[in-house]
Amino acid sequence: MALLEVKGVTKQFGGLTAVNSVDMEVQEGQIVGIIGPNGAGKTTLFSCIAGSHVPTKGSIKFNGTEIAGKKPYDICKLGVTRTFQVVKPFANKTVLYNTTVGAFAKTNRLDVAEEKAMEVLKLIDLYDKKDILAKNLTLPERKRLELARALATEPKLLLLDEVMAGLRPSEVAEMLPVIRKINSVGVSIIIVEHIMQAIMNLSEKVYVINFGKKIAEGDPHKVVADEEVIKAYLGDEYVANSH
Amino acid sequence: MIGYIESVINGILMGSIYGLTAVGLTLIFGVMKVVNFAHGSILMVGMFAAYWFITLTGFNPYLALVVVVPLLYFFGYYMQKIIIKPIFEAEKHVREPITVIIVTTGIWYVLDNLALLVFGAEFRVAQTSVTGKMVEVAEMYFPLAKMIGAGITLLLGIYLYWFLKHSRMGKAVRATSLDREAATLMGIKQSRIYNIVFGMGCACCGVAACVLVPFYYVYPTVGVPFDIKAFVIVVLGGLGSVPGAILGGIIIGIIETVGAQFMAATWTEMLIYAFFLVVLFVKPSGLFGLRQDY
Amino acid sequence: MKFLSNVQTTHKVFAALVLAVLYALPIFITSPVMLQIFILIFLYAYLTSSWNFVGGFAGVLPLGHSAFVGLGAYTSTLLYLTYNISPWIGMIAGGIVAAAFGLLIGLPTLKLRGAYFALATIAFAEGLRVLVENVEKLGPFEVRGPKGLLINLVGNSFKDFQFLSKVPYYYIILTMLVLVLILTFFMMRSKVGYYLAAGGEEPEAAEALGIKVSKYKLIAMAISCFLTALGGTFYAQLVLYFYPKSIMGLDMSYEIAFIALIGGRSTIMGPVLGAFLLRPVGELTRIYLGDTLPGLHLIIFGLVLIIVMRYQPRGLVEPVSRWLNILFDRIEKRRRA
Repeated sequence: MALLEVKGVTKQFGGLTAVNSVDMEVQEGQIVGIIGPNGAGKTTLFSCIAGSHVPTKGSIKFNGTEIAGKKPYDICKLGVTRTFQVVKPFANKTVLYNTTVGAFAKTNRLDVAEEKAMEVLKLIDLYDKKDILAKNLTLPERKRLELARALATEPKLLLLDEVMAGLRPSEVAEMLPVIRKINSVGVSIIIVEHIMQAIMNLSEKVYVINFGKKIAEGDPHKVVADEEVIKAYLGDEYVANSH
Repeated sequence: MIGYIESVINGILMGSIYGLTAVGLTLIFGVMKVVNFAHGSILMVGMFAAYWFITLTGFNPYLALVVVVPLLYFFGYYMQKIIIKPIFEAEKHVREPITVIIVTTGIWYVLDNLALLVFGAEFRVAQTSVTGKMVEVAEMYFPLAKMIGAGITLLLGIYLYWFLKHSRMGKAVRATSLDREAATLMGIKQSRIYNIVFGMGCACCGVAACVLVPFYYVYPTVGVPFDIKAFVIVVLGGLGSVPGAILGGIIIGIIETVGAQFMAATWTEMLIYAFFLVVLFVKPSGLFGLRQDY
Repeated sequence: MKFLSNVQTTHKVFAALVLAVLYALPIFITSPVMLQIFILIFLYAYLTSSWNFVGGFAGVLPLGHSAFVGLGAYTSTLLYLTYNISPWIGMIAGGIVAAAFGLLIGLPTLKLRGAYFALATIAFAEGLRVLVENVEKLGPFEVRGPKGLLINLVGNSFKDFQFLSKVPYYYIILTMLVLVLILTFFMMRSKVGYYLAAGGEEPEAAEALGIKVSKYKLIAMAISCFLTALGGTFYAQLVLYFYPKSIMGLDMSYEIAFIALIGGRSTIMGPVLGAFLLRPVGELTRIYLGDTLPGLHLIIFGLVLIIVMRYQPRGLVEPVSRWLNILFDRIEKRRRA
C-alpha cells in the first residue's frame, strides 16, 4: 500500500479551478517532486494534503486513513508535517525553542522534547546556533530551522514547500545533502520546487502540473524529455533558470 | 401602533448617526486591522470644537461642518503620522497589532482626561436655531436636528461608497486593505494611505459631532457610550464593511428606541450587548456577511 | 531543584533577598496608608499576572478582565451573605464561575482575529456590569443592583476572611502573588507555555506543527479567569463594600492591560514591574492632586503608555533586566576574583 494516495483531488476557488482531478502516490521512503510553472496549482495541491485547504472533491489517504478536510494539527498528529514557502519562525524565540515546539507533538515533557530537538538540530547542522533568536538567522538558516521544526514532530511524510526558493546556488548545494539525510532516517518527502536542478537531483519520481492538471509523471529524467512538459513548462522556465 | 412607527423611525434617525461613527472605525480597521479605541474621544473633540464654534460665533450649527470636519481630518492624519505610525511599523508583520490597539487606548485616556481638566465635568448644551424644534409628519413628531443629521449621514454614506468604489484614491485604499504587500508593489505608498484613512475615519467623527451637537449634551466622556456602540456596530455589520456599519448602526438605533417602549433604558443597553454576543457566536462575519476578514 | 539549575546564583540570591525584604516589610512599615498602597500594588501585580496568561502568553488582548474580578467578588460575597459560606470556599467557587464565563466568551472569539476577542471582552464586561446594576434579587441572593454589597464587620476572623489590621491582607496578597508567579514560571516551561507562545506568534505555523491553537488559548483563558476571580474575592474582603461600577468598571480592565504592556507582557516580572511603576503614580496623584486636577493620573497613564510603546514596545522589563544582568555580572566577577 502506498504511504500517501491522492485520488481525483479538485480544488475550486469560486469559479476558478486551481487543482483539477489530480492523482498521485508516494511510497514509503520515497522523495517525490512536484513541479510546474508559476500558478500551476502546486502549492494549492500541497495545501490540500497538509490540511490548509479543504479539497472540493477527491480523496487523500495517508496510511489508509482519509485525511482530506482534516485540520492541519490533526494531520500533523497522524504523521504529515509541512514547511512554508515563506518561512514562519517564532521570531522572538531561540532556535532550540522553535524546534522544541515541534518536538512537543510526541511528548508532554520539556526535557524529552528538548532532547529530541537537540538531536534534530545536530542532524540538520544547526546545533551550534541553538541559542540564537530565530529573527537573527540568515535566510538559509531560517529555511533549515523550518525543516528542523517540522522534523522534530517525527513525521512519516514531510511536505517541503519551496525550501530552496531564494537561496543562492551554493546554498542550494548545501541544502541537498540535508534533505537526503532526512530521507535516509526513514522520512518520506514530497517536495514542491522551482529549482529544477534540485528536483532532478533529489526525486525518484516527479509529477508535473500545469493549469491545475497533472500532465506527466515518472522518472525525472524521462519527464524532462516529455514533449508536453517541455512545451508547457520547461520552454521558458528552464531556459530562464539556466542562464 | 403609531407610537411604534414613530419610535422605529426615531431609531433609524439616531441609528444612522451611530452608523456614521462606526463607518470611521470600520474604515480604519479595514485598512490597518487596528481597532481605534480613541475613536469616541475623537468624536468628543469634534463635539467640543463644534460647540465652541456655534456658541462663540452664533452661526447656523451646520456651518460648523466647514471648520470641524477638516480640523478632525488633519487631527487624525497627524495622529496616525506622528504617534501611531512608528509603533505600527514595528509590528507591521504581526498578525495582531496589539501594541497599536493599546496605544489608541492610551490616546483615549489622554484626550478624555485633558478635556476634563480643561472644560470640567459639566454637561453643556449648544443653543442653536434647530435645538428643540420638532417636525410633524402624519401625526408623528420627530426632532428636526435628528432628521437633518440622518440626512447628512445618508449623503456622506453614499459619497464614501462612491469614493471607495470608483475614485483613484478609494481604489488604492481598497487595494491596501486587501493585501498590503501587493499594494506596495503596485506603487501605493502605504504610510500615506494609512494617514489618509485615519484622517477620513476621524473626519466621519467630525461630521457626526456637528450633527449631534444641536441636540446632544457635550461633556468630556461623551465619546465612551458612542465608542462602545460603534464597536458593537462594526462587528454586527462585518468589520471593515462601510454599508454594514450604517445598517448595523440603524439596527442598534432601533433596538434602543423600540426597546425603550418596553423596558428601562439600562435594559436596552443590556439587550444590545446580548445581541452582540449572540451575533459573535452565530455569525462572526457580521449580519450581512459582506466581508470575510476574521 | 533541577529546574533552577540554569539560573545564575546571583539571580537566586537577588530574588531571595527581594522576597525576604517584602516579607519583612510590615515590621518596618506600620502606617496603614502605606501598607494599603503596597497591598494594592501587589493586588494589581497579581491581577495583571493572571491577565498575562491570556493577554501575554496567548497573544490576544482581553480588555474586560474586571468582569472576572467582579464575578469572583460577587460569588464569594453572595455565598457568604446568604449561606454564611466562608469566603475562602467562595473564592474557589467564584474562580470556577469566572472560568466558565471565560470559556463561554473565548469559545466563539478565540478562533477569530484578535480584534473580535478584544471587543467581545469589553462588551461582555460592560454587559455584565449593566446586568448586575439592574438585578435586585437573583433567586435566594440579594444582589442589590447599583447599591452594591456590604459585608458585615465581624472583627478578626480567619474563617470570615476579615482582619482589623492590614498586615494579614498584606501577607495574603503577597503570597497569592508569589504563587501566581511560580505558576507562570512553570507554565512557561511546559508544553502549554510553548504551544501558547507558538500559537500567539505564528498561528499558521503552529497548526502545521500539530498545535490546536484555539484549544490552548481556551485553556489559558480559563486559567486566567479563574485566577483573576480569586483576586476579586480578596478585593471584596479588603474593602468590605463594593458596587458594580467600583469592581467591574472598564477602568480597572484597562489599568490591568496598561500595567501589563508597560511592564512587559508575556514575561514573569513584567506585571510586577508595571504595577510598582503605575500604581504609586495613581495613588499619589489621587491623594495630592485629586481635587484640583481630576483625571491627571489617567493622563499620566496614557502618556507613559504611549511613550513606552514607542521606545520599548516589549515593555520596561527588557531594559531593566538588562541593567540588572550587567550589575549581576559585575558582582559575579568580583565574587570570583
